[in-house]
Amino acid sequence: MDILLIMCVGVLIGNRIFPEKYRKVNEKLQVVCTMLLIFCMGVTLGSRENFLQELGTLGWTSFLFFLFPAGISLLLVYVLTRKFMPSGKGEE
Amino acid sequence: MVILAIAALAAGILCGLTDFGSTVTGFLVENRDFILYLLMFLVGISIGMHRGILKKIREYHVKILILPAGIVAGSIAGGLICALLTGHPVNESTAIASGLGWYSLAGITIGNLAGAQVGSIAFLSNLMREIFSFFMIPWISKHLNYYSCIAPAGATSEDTTLPMMMKYTNEETVVLSVINGVICSALVPFLLSFCIHFF
Repeated sequence: MDILLIMCVGVLIGNRIFPEKYRKVNEKLQVVCTMLLIFCMGVTLGSRENFLQELGTLGWTSFLFFLFPAGISLLLVYVLTRKFMPSGKGEE
Repeated sequence: MVILAIAALAAGILCGLTDFGSTVTGFLVENRDFILYLLMFLVGISIGMHRGILKKIREYHVKILILPAGIVAGSIAGGLICALLTGHPVNESTAIASGLGWYSLAGITIGNLAGAQVGSIAFLSNLMREIFSFFMIPWISKHLNYYSCIAPAGATSEDTTLPMMMKYTNEETVVLSVINGVICSALVPFLLSFCIHFF
């Protein structure tokens, strides 16, 4: 919830007072934050006890449990949005 | 961006494994919530700079629910297929799949309900979902449509995968992505419990 509130404050500032000339700076800062978050995710993973061992023994099964749910979700959302979402929207 | 992300992930894993620069990395990990808050604030500014976005979103009306409905149904169907392929019980398989990428919650909850090994599979598979969806977004936006970029991201579409949406889709999809992430995140605890107890 707090994330949404912070985002709403950002939307308000972006809509009312944020200068257009800093648009690029804003985009670059977003990339820096994203990379820091991914780095943190990596650190958490690497410092997890028996991480490499777990990945070795359960990696393949875990991969299947990622692949099918994500893949079928993707397929279903693609078909549904092609059929029901306003045509031309959400596409290039 | 994708190469940068892979490098950041690899560097993070290496630092975690070797304890390299543990003071700095420890500080970053402890304060990652603030990094996420800053990111969401900056993403909010980008959305706010795009005039007329809220009017466009209102046009979707109830159709906005197509995204989370497709994601939940697809994930549970995927869990059923995994049950067939791996021989895991249907309730555990569907519960793992209904983590929708929220690896911390899915790993701990399923670990408590179904044992450490299943909990580890839930953790790893949902983590893979977050990481791989991050790298799949550029391809999906180019070859399918912008809406579909939200599907693999699942519950993570409101935070960590959002910058990729910003870069490879448009502001409209970013707002849909946030709404989808909120709905999916709210559903995950119910789905986990429902799948474990009722399948």
